[in-house]
Amino acid sequence: MKNKFQTYAYGLFSYLAVAMACMTGNGALAQELGFKSYKLQEDNRPFKINTLFKNNDGYIYAGTTNGLYSFDGINFKRIIFSKSSARDTVTAVFQDHNRQVWVGFKNGHLARMINNKLEYYQPEEGTPAVAITAFAEDKGNNLWFATNGEGVYYFSKSHLYLFDSADGLSDLHIRSLVVTEKGDLLAATDQGINILSLAGGKKKVTVISPKNGLPDYYVTAITPAGNDRYWIGLQEKGFCLYDHTTGTVSIPPAVQNWTYGQVNSLLVSQKNLWIATEEYGLFNQAGFDKPVMAYKNGTAFQTKINNLLQDNEGNIWMNTPSDLVATAGHILRLYPVYNQSVYDNIHSMLCDHQNNIWVSSDGGLIRYILTENGFTEKKFRIAGLDARTDITSLYQDIYHHIWIGTMGSGIFLLDPETGQYRNLDENPLLKKASILSITGRGNTVCAGGLEGVAMIFKLAEVNRNLTAGYSFTNYNNIDNIGNNYIYSIYKDSKDRIWFGTDGKGITVLENGKFSRIDKETGLKDDHIYSFTEDLDGNIWFNTEGAGIYRFDGKTFRNYSLAEGISDLKIIALKTGPLGNIVLVQRKGLDILDIRNGTVSYLDNKQGIPEVNTDAGSVTQDSMGNIILSTSNGILVYTPVENTIHYPKTVIENVQLFLTDINKEVPGSFNYDQNSFLFNFTGIYYTNPDEVHYQYKLEGLDTAWIPTRDRSVSFLRLQPGTYRFHVRSSLSENFEGAHEATYVFVISKPIWKRYWFIILCILAGGGLIYWYMKSREKQFRKMQQLQQEKIQFQFQVLRNQVNPHFLFNSFNTLISTIEDDPAMAVGYVEQLSGFFRNIVNYRDKDIISLGEEISVVQTYFYLQQKRYGNNLALEVDITDEMKRNTFIPPLTLQLLVENAIKHNAVSKESPLAISIFVEDEKALVIRNNINPKMTGESGAGMGLQNIVNRYNLLSREPVTVNNDGKTFTVILPLLKQYDNENTDH
Amino acid sequence: MFKKPAILLFSLIVLSAHANAPNLIFSVSTGSITFRSDAPMELIKASSNQLKGIFSAEKKQFAFTINVNSFKGFNSPLQQEHFNENYLESDKFPRASFEGKIIEDMDMSRDGLYIIRAKGNLTIHGVVQERIIKCEINIKNGIVSVKSNFTVLLSDHNITIPKVVHEKLASEIKIEVKAELIEK
Repeated sequence: MKNKFQTYAYGLFSYLAVAMACMTGNGALAQELGFKSYKLQEDNRPFKINTLFKNNDGYIYAGTTNGLYSFDGINFKRIIFSKSSARDTVTAVFQDHNRQVWVGFKNGHLARMINNKLEYYQPEEGTPAVAITAFAEDKGNNLWFATNGEGVYYFSKSHLYLFDSADGLSDLHIRSLVVTEKGDLLAATDQGINILSLAGGKKKVTVISPKNGLPDYYVTAITPAGNDRYWIGLQEKGFCLYDHTTGTVSIPPAVQNWTYGQVNSLLVSQKNLWIATEEYGLFNQAGFDKPVMAYKNGTAFQTKINNLLQDNEGNIWMNTPSDLVATAGHILRLYPVYNQSVYDNIHSMLCDHQNNIWVSSDGGLIRYILTENGFTEKKFRIAGLDARTDITSLYQDIYHHIWIGTMGSGIFLLDPETGQYRNLDENPLLKKASILSITGRGNTVCAGGLEGVAMIFKLAEVNRNLTAGYSFTNYNNIDNIGNNYIYSIYKDSKDRIWFGTDGKGITVLENGKFSRIDKETGLKDDHIYSFTEDLDGNIWFNTEGAGIYRFDGKTFRNYSLAEGISDLKIIALKTGPLGNIVLVQRKGLDILDIRNGTVSYLDNKQGIPEVNTDAGSVTQDSMGNIILSTSNGILVYTPVENTIHYPKTVIENVQLFLTDINKEVPGSFNYDQNSFLFNFTGIYYTNPDEVHYQYKLEGLDTAWIPTRDRSVSFLRLQPGTYRFHVRSSLSENFEGAHEATYVFVISKPIWKRYWFIILCILAGGGLIYWYMKSREKQFRKMQQLQQEKIQFQFQVLRNQVNPHFLFNSFNTLISTIEDDPAMAVGYVEQLSGFFRNIVNYRDKDIISLGEEISVVQTYFYLQQKRYGNNLALEVDITDEMKRNTFIPPLTLQLLVENAIKHNAVSKESPLAISIFVEDEKALVIRNNINPKMTGESGAGMGLQNIVNRYNLLSREPVTVNNDGKTFTVILPLLKQYDNENTDH
Repeated sequence: MFKKPAILLFSLIVLSAHANAPNLIFSVSTGSITFRSDAPMELIKASSNQLKGIFSAEKKQFAFTINVNSFKGFNSPLQQEHFNENYLESDKFPRASFEGKIIEDMDMSRDGLYIIRAKGNLTIHGVVQERIIKCEINIKNGIVSVKSNFTVLLSDHNITIPKVVHEKLASEIKIEVKAELIEK
């Protein structure tokens, strides 16, 4: 007994892998290999697994007493709640058609998995108060779930409804729930099978109980068996088959007297039914009428088994009370029928038409007849063969005669029915010949060997009799092949005959013509060992040191180490029953998937013992299953249909700044959401440690980057469109590897986006337009100002050359010249100064208030000479004001002149004009009103002109106030030269 | 016609309860139902305090009923008229009811707060729909206070809404029930 313990520790978890090789025991002969056991624990606290589940990607989940765990073949990872630290006991897991994972708990709660975290789901109707035991989804995509004590619930149009006793359910404790092909549901209860239907919107329950032939009330498991039939697991009476079309129950003969107690779970894998029991371990049954065999892994496996599940590679998973357990099931079976001394003599092996196994022995052959419960062996001694004779090849022809090829003793023929045999001595060449291989197809038998043996026998009806002569052709002298070792001769389905030689390549005989395929035609190696033909008609052959070749009729394609072949010392090449090419290696099997070129491996990690290196020791049964001899017995490899032999790549999660995001939809991110972490797995439970990865971030990387890590991060990505690719392989060859992708876009920041730039350009254009417009407006305003100014000047000039003014001034002057000549001179000086100021200031927009005051005072001097003390001017303005404030020229002069012009000035009614600043903001000119008998014309032109000018110079308006007693003009004070109005 | 099963059950519970354990029957002393339609254009809310009902603790069975035309508080008298005449057709189907059985087991003799679920037939507009309704039950000094919120799809009860009022009437109506039950 060989026992291999490997212990790994990964973080908090550890798992135990046990690869079993050999055992002795009662009952079934075969042992299933690939047994592995994993302990699920945290902080040395083990958990109980309640349920196992496989999602659409093939990922396995375990619902435990400590919450939900995902299992990638190496680690268990707890799926936590996003908003709770609860570790509710999980009792059911399911994935619906939208890939939504649902979790049911012992406390009746429901949760959904969103971005790799659990979130409670709370329907309006509330959740059950008892454990959720199973989920199902009907054909209308409504979700159903069964409970342990409340019956079966279902969702319809967002409401939750219930099947219970009132609806006819025979029991409320449901163990299992399955949607039938018809569309109704089967529920396993303690009181028979309940068929639940909603035909016509009405609830209907039909009960299948012992009255209908069910052997047991208590139903524990239901599993589809195809054609709307279902395997039913029972509490006491084993299992039975329920046909939903006919409503009948049938009991397999081997289950009539069931003694293995409660069945917990059932699983169909190809033709096999696997049965997990409460106390007696695992069983399997190869067909309805076949016996039920106990599964043996080499140790006592008589324990509680639950939750059978098959992974995508065909391995069978289950749990014992303490462990999660896997087995390769029927993929690899070992029959320990011989001991070491027998094994030492095995150089060739043959599976005959009755699937009995023949092996070479000392001085003859041994035949093993394998049955479910054991085997019988019989030795066939052949005179002429002794212990030293090396039997290299065995072949059974269409008349069931066994051809025995030997080293140095030629070929013997044996009738397996009678035991009659003879030496094939028709040709003297064969008498002492050394045969390397015997193959054949139909009535053709090909024998190749040393010293020019290249014989092709044509069998005829007469050869039913072993003693009759055989017709044959020897090709030893054609095309120089005869001087060589002929390792193998192969006749393909197109009647071509392929000769594989030692050092001279291949010679093909097609339609009577020979052609040579060798190094000169492109082969890397001229030593050709054996041929096989795949289901598509391609010819495959293996070479001594350059791997294998595929010939599709036109080209040769080489598969070597780089393509994933584990070892170039290939023992034999066979086409497996599902069409894959199987390379028998010293350490096990390389399986080449001819659809995608990927290679997978079965080796000592699955418990395969040392393989016999004789090319003749590999054979195939009538199903095409590969049979080889190993140091521990006969090994049968049976691939499982609809399984994959490569890692399936899955992006487990995508994190943005270490927070999970939805990986199911393409991502769209802002420029500052730019740091990503990808976690991925190549799901390959057969050998999870051997998965290699390559990733590429399209948009950043151009080449694939190899890694053994299962995560990669990208920090501070530039804006752009990205496609993350990851693929996984069991070798360095990634051609045909399964790939997973995630697409995402990082947007440019707002200021780099086209629309923003365009908007900016438009806004800039608008600004310039607005500026131009305002310039234009300003310009017009200037022009208007200019015009006003000219008009004002004209007004002023016209006023000042008013003949009345001059006349009055000259009259004053005349009277003064006589009285006081000196004063007359001063008067004339003032008069001329006044006119000079008018001329000086008329071109200016504004002048300082001081300058204007001096003009006013000059004017006042001239007028006072005429009116004497009847006219008074009071100016109350500080020097600072005079310097720092401004006024359009001759404004005050005009107002003073107006005051004198419009009012009577006499001793009875003197005119008082006052000019002062109010609140530092306004300049006030006020005079009392002395109505005149005869009004002088003025038409208010001057005042209106002032108002217009101020409108152009200041925001503040000019106010004119006439209350009948005083006349007041309030002018805004212009504080400074604040615009370009002044430089004209 | 539709109200007959409710009344039948009603009387059955009363009769059978009287026969076996007369002191485990509770009936509604005060009870109200408020419904709320939260449509994009209009919020309609109306309530009635004429809820009647009975509950047998031993059998876990109950029956509640209300007069449809007793709802008040509509946004306009016309709305109330439409509610009664066009939608609920209260002259044809004067009552709405919910009758059935409690899923959980509960001890009515113990004070405390319970969350329970009732499975039963909800009859509105003469259409019977089986429903599960979650209730909060508070038992204190023999008074059983029941509070429940649930929704009703108008289409489930053949209540058709003319296209013109789609924006004014929600397709899903929120219902709030409050009741106090005392032992009979």
